[in-house]
Amino acid sequence: MKKNACILRLTDVSKTFGEMNVLNSVNIEIKAGNIVGVVGPSGGGKSTLLRCIQGLESIDSGKIEKYGRTGFMFQDFQLFPHMTVLRNLTFAPLVRSIAYTSELGITDKREAKNYIENEAMQLLRTLWIDHKASAYPSSLSGGQKQRVALARSLMMKPNILLCDEPTSGLDQTTSAEVASLLNKVNTDSGITILIASHDREFLKLVSNTIIPIGTAGDGTSPGHSTT
Amino acid sequence: MIDLLKGIKYVGSGVTLTLELLTGAFIIGFVLGGIFSIARRTRVGRPIVSGIVSVLRGTPVLLQLSVIFFTSASLTGIKLSILSAGIVTFGINSAAYVSEIFRSGIESLPRGQFEACQTLEIPRYHTWLRIILPQVFLNTLPSLINEMVALLKETAVVGMIGGMDITRSAQALAAEHYEYFIPLCIAGSYYYVLVMIIEWIGRKIEKKRVYT
Repeated sequence: MKKNACILRLTDVSKTFGEMNVLNSVNIEIKAGNIVGVVGPSGGGKSTLLRCIQGLESIDSGKIEKYGRTGFMFQDFQLFPHMTVLRNLTFAPLVRSIAYTSELGITDKREAKNYIENEAMQLLRTLWIDHKASAYPSSLSGGQKQRVALARSLMMKPNILLCDEPTSGLDQTTSAEVASLLNKVNTDSGITILIASHDREFLKLVSNTIIPIGTAGDGTSPGHSTT
Repeated sequence: MIDLLKGIKYVGSGVTLTLELLTGAFIIGFVLGGIFSIARRTRVGRPIVSGIVSVLRGTPVLLQLSVIFFTSASLTGIKLSILSAGIVTFGINSAAYVSEIFRSGIESLPRGQFEACQTLEIPRYHTWLRIILPQVFLNTLPSLINEMVALLKETAVVGMIGGMDITRSAQALAAEHYEYFIPLCIAGSYYYVLVMIIEWIGRKIEKKRVYT
Protein backbone atom coordinates (compact mmCIF):
# COMPACT_ATOMS: atom_id res chain seq x y z
CA MET A 1 0.00 0.00 0.00
CA LYS A 2 1.38 3.35 -1.10
CA LYS A 3 1.95 5.79 1.77
CA ASN A 4 -0.76 8.45 2.00
CA ALA A 5 -3.16 6.53 -0.25
CA CYS A 6 -6.61 6.20 1.29
CA ILE A 7 -6.75 2.93 3.28
CA LEU A 8 -10.01 3.40 5.16
CA ARG A 9 -13.02 5.51 4.32
CA LEU A 10 -16.23 5.86 6.33
CA THR A 11 -19.08 7.64 4.62
CA ASP A 12 -22.14 8.71 6.63
CA VAL A 13 -21.84 5.76 9.00
CA SER A 14 -24.64 5.55 11.56
CA LYS A 15 -25.35 3.03 14.24
CA THR A 16 -28.04 2.88 16.90
CA PHE A 17 -28.56 0.52 19.81
CA GLY A 18 -32.27 0.57 20.52
CA GLU A 19 -33.16 4.20 21.18
CA MET A 20 -29.54 5.25 21.53
CA ASN A 21 -27.90 6.88 18.54
CA VAL A 22 -24.24 5.91 19.02
CA LEU A 23 -22.78 6.88 15.66
CA ASN A 24 -24.48 9.62 13.72
CA SER A 25 -23.36 10.10 10.15
CA VAL A 26 -19.63 9.67 10.75
CA ASN A 27 -17.30 10.57 7.88
CA ILE A 28 -13.64 9.68 8.22
CA GLU A 29 -10.90 9.11 5.68
CA ILE A 30 -7.60 7.65 6.83
CA LYS A 31 -4.43 7.57 4.77
CA ALA A 32 -2.01 4.65 4.79
CA GLY A 33 0.86 4.72 7.24
CA ASN A 34 -0.73 7.10 9.74
CA ILE A 35 -1.51 6.61 13.39
CA VAL A 36 -4.91 8.07 14.10
CA GLY A 37 -6.52 8.46 17.50
CA VAL A 38 -10.24 8.54 18.14
CA VAL A 39 -10.99 10.30 21.39
CA GLY A 40 -14.22 10.74 23.26
CA PRO A 41 -16.01 10.05 26.50
CA SER A 42 -17.15 6.62 27.68
CA GLY A 43 -20.23 5.60 25.74
CA GLY A 44 -19.39 8.06 22.99
CA GLY A 45 -19.12 5.39 20.31
CA LYS A 46 -15.33 4.98 19.96
CA SER A 47 -15.35 1.23 20.50
CA THR A 48 -18.50 0.85 18.41
CA LEU A 49 -16.78 2.68 15.58
CA LEU A 50 -13.83 0.27 15.67
CA ARG A 51 -16.12 -2.74 16.00
CA CYS A 52 -18.11 -1.58 12.96
CA ILE A 53 -14.91 -1.19 10.95
CA GLN A 54 -13.80 -4.69 11.98
CA GLY A 55 -17.22 -6.13 11.13
CA LEU A 56 -18.06 -7.17 14.68
CA GLU A 57 -21.10 -4.88 14.57
CA SER A 58 -23.31 -4.14 11.60
CA ILE A 59 -23.98 -0.54 10.60
CA ASP A 60 -27.46 0.88 10.12
CA SER A 61 -26.54 3.12 7.22
CA GLY A 62 -23.52 4.51 5.41
CA LYS A 63 -20.52 2.84 3.88
CA ILE A 64 -17.20 1.50 5.17
CA GLU A 65 -14.48 0.98 2.59
CA LYS A 66 -11.34 -0.86 3.68
CA TYR A 67 -8.36 -1.23 1.37
CA GLY A 68 -6.50 -3.97 3.20
CA ARG A 69 -6.79 -6.51 6.00
CA THR A 70 -7.71 -5.31 9.48
CA GLY A 71 -6.37 -6.57 12.79
CA PHE A 72 -8.14 -5.95 16.08
CA MET A 73 -6.75 -5.52 19.59
CA PHE A 74 -9.42 -5.89 22.25
CA GLN A 75 -9.66 -3.66 25.29
CA ASP A 76 -9.57 -6.74 27.54
CA PHE A 77 -7.05 -8.56 25.32
CA GLN A 78 -9.17 -11.73 24.88
CA LEU A 79 -6.16 -14.00 24.89
CA PHE A 80 -7.02 -17.71 24.94
CA PRO A 81 -6.44 -18.70 28.59
CA HIS A 82 -5.83 -22.41 27.94
CA MET A 83 -3.02 -21.74 25.47
CA THR A 84 0.52 -20.57 26.04
CA VAL A 85 1.66 -17.20 24.74
CA LEU A 86 3.36 -18.81 21.73
CA ARG A 87 0.28 -20.92 20.98
CA ASN A 88 -1.91 -17.81 21.22
CA LEU A 89 0.16 -16.31 18.43
CA THR A 90 0.52 -19.37 16.24
CA PHE A 91 -2.91 -20.99 16.57
CA ALA A 92 -4.82 -18.90 14.04
CA PRO A 93 -2.07 -18.92 11.39
CA LEU A 94 -1.58 -22.68 11.90
CA VAL A 95 -5.24 -23.64 11.42
CA ARG A 96 -5.32 -21.60 8.27
CA SER A 97 -1.71 -22.37 7.38
CA ILE A 98 -2.44 -23.11 3.73
CA ALA A 99 -3.84 -19.63 3.15
CA TYR A 100 -1.24 -18.09 5.44
CA THR A 101 1.92 -19.54 3.97
CA SER A 102 0.96 -20.31 0.40
CA GLU A 103 1.54 -16.67 -0.47
CA LEU A 104 5.16 -17.34 0.48
CA GLY A 105 5.31 -20.50 -1.59
CA ILE A 106 5.37 -22.83 1.44
CA THR A 107 3.16 -25.85 0.89
CA ASP A 108 4.68 -28.44 3.26
CA LYS A 109 2.76 -28.49 6.57
CA ARG A 110 5.81 -29.03 8.79
CA GLU A 111 7.72 -26.32 7.02
CA ALA A 112 4.73 -24.01 7.43
CA LYS A 113 4.58 -24.79 11.17
CA ASN A 114 8.29 -24.03 11.62
CA TYR A 115 7.93 -20.84 9.64
CA ILE A 116 4.95 -19.63 11.67
CA GLU A 117 6.61 -20.48 15.00
CA ASN A 118 9.81 -18.70 14.00
CA GLU A 119 7.83 -15.70 12.92
CA ALA A 120 5.92 -15.65 16.21
CA MET A 121 9.13 -15.89 18.25
CA GLN A 122 10.67 -13.07 16.24
CA LEU A 123 7.62 -10.92 16.90
CA LEU A 124 7.76 -11.74 20.62
CA ARG A 125 11.43 -10.72 20.62
CA THR A 126 10.59 -7.45 18.89
CA LEU A 127 7.98 -6.73 21.56
CA TRP A 128 10.34 -7.81 24.39
CA ILE A 129 8.12 -10.61 25.58
CA ASP A 130 9.88 -13.67 24.15
CA HIS A 131 10.87 -14.86 27.66
CA LYS A 132 7.16 -15.51 28.32
CA ALA A 133 6.61 -17.65 25.20
CA SER A 134 5.74 -20.77 27.18
CA ALA A 135 3.76 -18.99 29.92
CA TYR A 136 -0.02 -18.93 30.17
CA PRO A 137 -1.85 -15.57 29.96
CA SER A 138 -3.00 -15.81 33.60
CA SER A 139 0.60 -15.43 34.75
CA LEU A 140 1.21 -12.22 32.77
CA SER A 141 0.92 -8.62 33.93
CA GLY A 142 -1.45 -6.19 32.17
CA GLY A 143 1.37 -4.69 30.11
CA GLN A 144 2.65 -8.12 29.10
CA LYS A 145 -0.85 -9.21 28.06
CA GLN A 146 -1.12 -6.04 25.99
CA ARG A 147 2.11 -6.89 24.17
CA VAL A 148 0.96 -10.47 23.54
CA ALA A 149 -2.38 -9.17 22.22
CA LEU A 150 -0.50 -6.78 19.95
CA ALA A 151 1.77 -9.58 18.72
CA ARG A 152 -1.22 -11.84 18.08
CA SER A 153 -2.90 -9.13 16.00
CA LEU A 154 0.29 -8.55 14.06
CA MET A 155 0.60 -12.25 13.24
CA MET A 156 -2.41 -11.73 10.97
CA LYS A 157 -0.32 -9.30 8.90
CA PRO A 158 -2.90 -6.52 8.99
CA ASN A 159 -2.68 -3.37 6.90
CA ILE A 160 -4.81 -1.53 9.43
CA LEU A 161 -4.55 -2.23 13.16
CA LEU A 162 -7.56 -1.27 15.24
CA CYS A 163 -6.75 -0.80 18.94
CA ASP A 164 -9.63 -0.50 21.38
CA GLU A 165 -8.54 1.34 24.56
CA PRO A 166 -5.00 -0.08 24.52
CA THR A 167 -4.05 1.61 27.79
CA SER A 168 -7.16 0.75 29.77
CA GLY A 169 -6.08 -0.42 33.22
CA LEU A 170 -2.39 0.30 32.61
CA ASP A 171 -0.24 2.68 34.63
CA GLN A 172 1.47 5.71 33.06
CA THR A 173 4.82 4.02 32.51
CA THR A 174 3.23 1.00 30.84
CA SER A 175 1.01 3.29 28.75
CA ALA A 176 4.13 5.09 27.53
CA GLU A 177 5.65 1.68 26.67
CA VAL A 178 2.54 0.78 24.66
CA ALA A 179 2.80 4.13 22.86
CA SER A 180 6.41 3.49 21.90
CA LEU A 181 5.55 -0.07 20.79
CA LEU A 182 2.76 1.17 18.53
CA ASN A 183 5.12 3.80 17.10
CA LYS A 184 7.71 1.09 16.50
CA VAL A 185 5.19 -1.15 14.74
CA ASN A 186 4.09 1.76 12.59
CA THR A 187 7.64 2.77 11.72
CA ASP A 188 8.97 -0.75 11.13
CA SER A 189 6.13 -2.17 9.08
CA GLY A 190 4.18 0.86 7.92
CA ILE A 191 0.92 -0.46 9.37
CA THR A 192 -1.85 2.11 9.67
CA ILE A 193 -3.09 2.25 13.25
CA LEU A 194 -6.45 3.49 14.48
CA ILE A 195 -6.67 3.84 18.24
CA ALA A 196 -9.83 4.43 20.28
CA SER A 197 -9.04 5.90 23.68
CA HIS A 198 -10.44 8.27 26.26
CA ASP A 199 -6.85 9.15 27.22
CA ARG A 200 -6.02 12.27 25.23
CA GLU A 201 -2.47 12.45 26.67
CA PHE A 202 -1.71 8.95 25.43
CA LEU A 203 -3.11 9.76 21.99
CA LYS A 204 -0.95 12.90 21.82
CA LEU A 205 2.09 10.70 22.45
CA VAL A 206 1.32 8.25 19.70
CA SER A 207 -1.01 9.72 17.04
CA ASN A 208 -0.45 11.96 14.04
CA THR A 209 -4.08 13.02 14.18
CA ILE A 210 -6.80 12.93 16.82
CA ILE A 211 -10.46 12.75 15.85
CA PRO A 212 -12.97 13.64 18.55
CA ILE A 213 -16.10 11.55 18.50
CA GLY A 214 -19.48 11.81 20.22
CA THR A 215 -20.54 12.95 23.61
CA ALA A 216 -21.95 10.27 25.86
CA GLY A 217 -24.99 8.82 24.17
CA ASP A 218 -26.32 11.97 22.52
CA GLY A 219 -25.55 10.77 19.05
CA THR A 220 -23.65 13.89 18.11
CA SER A 221 -20.64 12.19 16.58
CA PRO A 222 -18.78 14.93 14.74
CA GLY A 223 -16.23 12.61 13.13
CA HIS A 224 -15.85 14.52 9.84
CA SER A 225 -12.19 14.15 9.27
CA THR A 226 -9.54 13.39 6.73
CA THR A 227 -6.12 12.31 7.93
CA MET B 1 -27.48 -65.29 58.26
CA ILE B 2 -25.64 -64.04 55.16
CA ASP B 3 -21.96 -64.90 54.81
CA LEU B 4 -20.42 -61.42 54.46
CA LEU B 5 -17.69 -62.44 52.00
CA LYS B 6 -20.14 -64.33 49.81
CA GLY B 7 -22.50 -61.36 50.02
CA ILE B 8 -19.79 -58.93 48.91
CA LYS B 9 -18.91 -61.21 46.02
CA TYR B 10 -22.55 -61.71 45.00
CA VAL B 11 -23.47 -58.01 45.07
CA GLY B 12 -20.10 -57.21 43.43
CA SER B 13 -21.13 -59.24 40.40
CA GLY B 14 -23.46 -56.33 39.57
CA VAL B 15 -20.60 -53.81 39.47
CA THR B 16 -19.74 -54.76 35.88
CA LEU B 17 -23.22 -53.92 34.58
CA THR B 18 -23.32 -50.70 36.62
CA LEU B 19 -19.95 -49.59 35.22
CA GLU B 20 -20.88 -50.54 31.67
CA LEU B 21 -24.08 -48.52 31.96
CA LEU B 22 -22.25 -45.58 33.52
CA THR B 23 -19.44 -45.50 30.96
CA GLY B 24 -21.66 -45.95 27.92
CA ALA B 25 -24.30 -43.50 29.12
CA PHE B 26 -21.77 -40.85 30.12
CA ILE B 27 -20.03 -40.98 26.74
CA ILE B 28 -23.37 -40.70 24.93
CA GLY B 29 -24.52 -37.97 27.32
CA PHE B 30 -21.28 -36.01 26.95
CA VAL B 31 -21.14 -36.14 23.15
CA LEU B 32 -24.88 -35.66 22.61
CA GLY B 33 -24.99 -32.96 25.29
CA GLY B 34 -22.20 -31.11 23.47
CA ILE B 35 -24.05 -31.40 20.16
CA PHE B 36 -27.30 -30.24 21.80
CA SER B 37 -25.63 -27.20 23.34
CA ILE B 38 -24.10 -26.14 20.02
CA ALA B 39 -27.31 -26.89 18.09
CA ARG B 40 -29.18 -24.74 20.58
CA ARG B 41 -27.27 -21.72 19.34
CA THR B 42 -28.71 -22.08 15.85
CA ARG B 43 -32.10 -20.72 14.83
CA VAL B 44 -33.35 -24.08 13.54
CA GLY B 45 -31.85 -26.17 16.34
CA ARG B 46 -33.00 -24.04 19.28
CA PRO B 47 -36.71 -25.00 19.36
CA ILE B 48 -36.02 -28.64 18.51
CA VAL B 49 -33.34 -29.13 21.18
CA SER B 50 -35.30 -27.12 23.75
CA GLY B 51 -38.30 -29.40 23.15
CA ILE B 52 -36.25 -32.58 23.47
CA VAL B 53 -34.50 -31.37 26.62
CA SER B 54 -37.80 -30.28 28.15
CA VAL B 55 -39.39 -33.71 27.58
CA LEU B 56 -36.33 -35.60 28.84
CA ARG B 57 -36.13 -33.52 32.01
CA GLY B 58 -39.88 -33.51 32.51
CA THR B 59 -40.52 -37.25 32.52
CA PRO B 60 -39.22 -39.99 34.86
CA VAL B 61 -36.18 -41.90 33.67
CA LEU B 62 -37.95 -45.15 34.58
CA LEU B 63 -40.70 -44.27 32.12
CA GLN B 64 -38.12 -43.45 29.42
CA LEU B 65 -36.34 -46.74 30.08
CA SER B 66 -39.61 -48.67 29.84
CA VAL B 67 -40.53 -46.96 26.57
CA ILE B 68 -37.16 -47.71 25.01
CA PHE B 69 -36.89 -51.29 26.30
CA PHE B 70 -40.47 -52.47 25.82
CA THR B 71 -41.53 -50.57 22.70
CA SER B 72 -38.35 -50.41 20.61
CA ALA B 73 -39.04 -53.80 19.01
CA SER B 74 -42.59 -52.96 17.98
CA LEU B 75 -41.78 -49.39 16.89
CA THR B 76 -38.46 -49.89 15.12
CA GLY B 77 -38.08 -53.65 14.72
CA ILE B 78 -34.88 -53.55 16.78
CA LYS B 79 -34.92 -55.59 19.98
CA LEU B 80 -32.59 -53.98 22.47
CA SER B 81 -30.81 -55.91 25.21
CA ILE B 82 -31.10 -54.69 28.80
CA LEU B 83 -27.59 -53.23 28.59
CA SER B 84 -28.22 -51.43 25.27
CA ALA B 85 -31.59 -50.08 26.40
CA GLY B 86 -30.01 -48.86 29.64
CA ILE B 87 -27.07 -47.18 27.91
CA VAL B 88 -29.31 -45.49 25.33
CA THR B 89 -31.87 -44.33 27.90
CA PHE B 90 -29.46 -43.07 30.53
CA GLY B 91 -27.24 -41.57 27.81
CA ILE B 92 -30.03 -39.58 26.18
CA ASN B 93 -31.41 -38.55 29.56
CA SER B 94 -27.98 -37.44 30.72
CA ALA B 95 -27.48 -35.49 27.47
CA ALA B 96 -30.37 -33.24 28.45
CA TYR B 97 -28.64 -32.31 31.71
CA VAL B 98 -25.15 -32.12 30.19
CA SER B 99 -26.44 -29.79 27.46
CA GLU B 100 -27.75 -27.46 30.17
CA ILE B 101 -24.38 -27.58 31.92
CA PHE B 102 -22.57 -26.81 28.65
CA ARG B 103 -25.08 -24.09 27.79
CA SER B 104 -24.36 -22.26 31.03
CA GLY B 105 -20.63 -22.83 30.46
CA ILE B 106 -20.80 -21.36 26.95
CA GLU B 107 -22.87 -18.40 28.12
CA SER B 108 -20.42 -17.68 30.93
CA LEU B 109 -17.52 -17.33 28.47
CA PRO B 110 -16.84 -13.72 27.46
CA ARG B 111 -18.35 -12.87 24.07
CA GLY B 112 -14.90 -11.54 23.23
CA GLN B 113 -13.55 -15.10 22.93
CA PHE B 114 -15.88 -15.69 19.98
CA GLU B 115 -15.05 -12.26 18.58
CA ALA B 116 -11.31 -12.87 18.94
CA CYS B 117 -11.72 -16.04 16.87
CA GLN B 118 -13.70 -14.07 14.31
CA THR B 119 -11.08 -11.32 14.02
CA LEU B 120 -8.31 -13.93 13.77
CA GLU B 121 -10.27 -15.64 10.98
CA ILE B 122 -10.27 -18.96 12.82
CA PRO B 123 -12.70 -21.35 11.08
CA ARG B 124 -15.92 -22.15 13.00
CA TYR B 125 -14.99 -25.80 13.49
CA HIS B 126 -11.69 -24.90 15.18
CA THR B 127 -13.34 -22.08 17.13
CA TRP B 128 -15.67 -24.55 18.79
CA LEU B 129 -13.40 -27.57 19.07
CA ARG B 130 -10.15 -25.92 20.08
CA ILE B 131 -11.09 -22.62 21.70
CA ILE B 132 -14.61 -22.68 23.14
CA LEU B 133 -15.30 -26.29 24.18
CA PRO B 134 -11.97 -26.91 25.99
CA GLN B 135 -12.63 -23.84 28.14
CA VAL B 136 -16.26 -24.81 28.66
CA PHE B 137 -15.23 -28.35 29.63
CA LEU B 138 -12.72 -27.20 32.23
CA ASN B 139 -15.03 -24.49 33.61
CA THR B 140 -17.95 -26.89 33.98
CA LEU B 141 -15.96 -29.86 35.26
CA PRO B 142 -17.40 -29.77 38.82
CA SER B 143 -20.94 -29.85 37.39
CA LEU B 144 -20.01 -32.64 35.00
CA ILE B 145 -18.62 -34.68 37.89
CA ASN B 146 -21.90 -34.10 39.74
CA GLU B 147 -23.81 -35.29 36.70
CA MET B 148 -21.65 -38.42 36.53
CA VAL B 149 -22.29 -39.18 40.19
CA ALA B 150 -26.04 -38.68 39.69
CA LEU B 151 -25.89 -40.90 36.61
CA LEU B 152 -24.12 -43.65 38.57
CA LYS B 153 -26.93 -43.72 41.11
CA GLU B 154 -29.57 -43.47 38.39
CA THR B 155 -28.33 -46.69 36.76
CA ALA B 156 -30.01 -48.58 39.63
CA VAL B 157 -33.28 -48.08 37.73
CA VAL B 158 -32.10 -50.73 35.25
CA GLY B 159 -33.09 -53.34 37.84
CA MET B 160 -36.74 -52.58 37.00
CA ILE B 161 -36.31 -54.20 33.57
CA GLY B 162 -34.32 -57.11 34.97
CA GLY B 163 -30.74 -55.81 34.79
CA MET B 164 -28.57 -57.40 37.50
CA ASP B 165 -26.68 -54.31 38.60
CA ILE B 166 -25.44 -53.57 42.12
CA THR B 167 -28.85 -52.70 43.58
CA ARG B 168 -30.69 -55.54 41.87
CA SER B 169 -28.05 -58.05 42.98
CA ALA B 170 -28.38 -56.82 46.56
CA GLN B 171 -32.17 -57.14 46.37
CA ALA B 172 -31.86 -60.67 44.97
CA LEU B 173 -29.51 -61.64 47.79
CA ALA B 174 -31.83 -60.11 50.37
CA ALA B 175 -34.86 -61.86 48.96
CA GLU B 176 -33.03 -65.16 49.00
CA HIS B 177 -32.10 -64.86 52.71
CA TYR B 178 -35.05 -62.74 53.93
CA GLU B 179 -32.51 -60.27 55.26
CA TYR B 180 -32.19 -56.77 53.82
CA PHE B 181 -29.79 -54.82 56.00
CA ILE B 182 -26.45 -56.41 55.07
CA PRO B 183 -27.03 -56.74 51.30
CA LEU B 184 -28.20 -53.14 51.07
CA CYS B 185 -25.23 -51.94 53.14
CA ILE B 186 -22.90 -53.83 50.80
CA ALA B 187 -24.61 -52.21 47.77
CA GLY B 188 -24.32 -48.79 49.41
CA SER B 189 -20.61 -49.36 50.05
CA TYR B 190 -19.99 -50.25 46.41
CA TYR B 191 -21.77 -47.09 45.24
CA TYR B 192 -19.90 -44.98 47.80
CA VAL B 193 -16.48 -46.31 46.71
CA LEU B 194 -17.36 -45.71 43.05
CA VAL B 195 -18.47 -42.14 43.80
CA MET B 196 -15.22 -41.52 45.70
CA ILE B 197 -13.21 -42.78 42.70
CA ILE B 198 -15.15 -40.50 40.31
CA GLU B 199 -14.58 -37.52 42.59
CA TRP B 200 -10.88 -38.31 42.88
CA ILE B 201 -10.52 -38.47 39.09
CA GLY B 202 -12.47 -35.20 38.83
CA ARG B 203 -10.13 -33.48 41.28
CA LYS B 204 -7.11 -34.70 39.32
CA ILE B 205 -8.45 -33.27 36.07
CA GLU B 206 -9.63 -30.10 37.78
CA LYS B 207 -6.09 -29.30 38.88
CA LYS B 208 -5.34 -28.65 35.22
CA ARG B 209 -7.90 -25.86 35.23
CA VAL B 210 -5.26 -23.51 36.56
CA TYR B 211 -3.21 -22.48 33.56
CA THR B 212 0.04 -21.33 35.10
